Amino acid sequence: MKNKKQGASQWLSFIFLILLSIIWIMPLLYGVMSSFKSNIEMQSVGFKFLPINWILTNYSDLLQNTANTPVFRWFLNSIVISGGSTILVLIVTSLSAFAFSRLRFKGRNVLFIFLLATMMFPPVMNIIPLYKIMTLLGWANTPWAMIFPAATGAFNIFLVRQFMDNIPLAYDEAARIDGASDWQIFRIIILPLIKPVLFVVALFTFTGSWNDFLWPSIVFSDINKMPITPGLKLLQGMYVADIPTLMAGAIIAIIPTFILYLVAQKYFLQSMSLSVGVKG
Amino acid sequence: MAEVSLKSHEQVSKHKRTRSHPFVYLLPHLAIFTIFFFIPLIFGIYIAFTKWDLVRTPVFVGLDNFKNILFSNSIFHDQLTSGLWHTILFVLISVPFCVLVPLSLAVMLNTKPKFAKFFQGLFYLPSLFSISAVVIVWSLIFNPNYGPLNTLFNWNQVWTGTQPWAWITIVVLTVWWTIGGNMIIYQAALNGIPQDYYEAADIDGASSWKKFVHITLPSIRGQLLFTIVTTTIAQFNIYGQPLMLTNGGPNGSTTVLMMNVQQNAFGSGQSLAGISSAMSVILGICIMIVSMVQLFLLRNKD
Repeated sequence: MKNKKQGASQWLSFIFLILLSIIWIMPLLYGVMSSFKSNIEMQSVGFKFLPINWILTNYSDLLQNTANTPVFRWFLNSIVISGGSTILVLIVTSLSAFAFSRLRFKGRNVLFIFLLATMMFPPVMNIIPLYKIMTLLGWANTPWAMIFPAATGAFNIFLVRQFMDNIPLAYDEAARIDGASDWQIFRIIILPLIKPVLFVVALFTFTGSWNDFLWPSIVFSDINKMPITPGLKLLQGMYVADIPTLMAGAIIAIIPTFILYLVAQKYFLQSMSLSVGVKG
Repeated sequence: MAEVSLKSHEQVSKHKRTRSHPFVYLLPHLAIFTIFFFIPLIFGIYIAFTKWDLVRTPVFVGLDNFKNILFSNSIFHDQLTSGLWHTILFVLISVPFCVLVPLSLAVMLNTKPKFAKFFQGLFYLPSLFSISAVVIVWSLIFNPNYGPLNTLFNWNQVWTGTQPWAWITIVVLTVWWTIGGNMIIYQAALNGIPQDYYEAADIDGASSWKKFVHITLPSIRGQLLFTIVTTTIAQFNIYGQPLMLTNGGPNGSTTVLMMNVQQNAFGSGQSLAGISSAMSVILGICIMIVSMVQLFLLRNKD
């Protein structure tokens, strides 16, 4: 009796989920399909899901255009910015988390709580002075303008510290008796063990940096230096009348995070539960 | 035990002089944090009390900016009232959907149907994309001339250019874009509820709805609270959707406060960084007050 009831709700859920997932994927699929249509086809034919003539020229034209909307250039800039941010975040986060988890010093908890508390302030409040600092440093329109602010957050330290705290102190202890220094303990014992959580931090830093919109649209005015996410805003203005090419631009911009997701879906989803375990 | 062992290895290491100062490990983050977050934050609050054009030295003007924005009959007062109202309107409409839609998805996925992993992956997918890419994709869907909504159903609606459709399109896009994270959080929470609770309720003959209200919801209260607060904060920062989808229109009816902040400080013409900072401080205070009220209300229910 009970199993029957459970089976029924399972079937009902299944049917609902199929309908919803079709609705969910449609906008994206329609965008992808439209990027293979010619502009004439787009404007003349009524509703048609698949292209009548599949063309790739939207993509090739877009990648070759280097004057007003250098999409390929933006793409490379984004790789440099997101890659750089990820490397810097991994370095400073693992070092700082190590100190908070393994080293004893005065005011350790106060400092940690202070760092977490500052995350309460919404980012709007520091954007204007941050812009000024970047221009003073001569870093506006350079990758540094995005790489350094990416490494200010305390949440990553929180996650990594949490993970480190679960590594038994006995490991450090044994190494210390063998004469290992703090640095050696960090480098040889801790670092290999925290690889899973660092991988999660890396994925989120990369996608977060790739998708950042407000800050780069302020700090990048040079069209050749900007990353692709604010670049798409310019693209939108330039290709108002050429929807298929505009779609091609958006598709190019989402390819890297999409591939990362395909490769590391498990880690993306796992990381969400990591932060739940902590907060729940 | 950990305490004891820590002491003993501290003694060992003191003898061997292998302990480096903890500050060395903290320094990289603290330096970056101070220069690129903390100083700008303090400075940002300070310039809210100044007249500044981003170039010359800021001139301290006391509470003038706030008086100007909050009480005078200026354009900035209009910007604040309409911008803040539109932001709050968006928060009020979107947050319930951004909680209830992923919650229902999580409940359905929790019945462990076939392909659950696939569905989960699919609903999470949009949250990996940038707002600019998402808006471009949806701008085709809502395009009045060539968009599938109008061409497929033979409608003739100017979706992003008339109210209430402009807000509806923004909310639909936002729900589509953001629910993945909350869904995963709810799934993990639902998974953690012991099955015996439901079995006991079954014996008492409780209906599904009763079980949901009396077992499921109380069990995931912590996660609900957490997601309601974080979702509200996230939606308060709305900027990209109206900027790129409706351009703040029709007639400025979707112009949110962040757009005014950005325009005043970095738009064409002379920068009004002081006014703009004061506006962002007001927005920041609103966000903090709302999240504290939420924490308070939701905590005290028990």
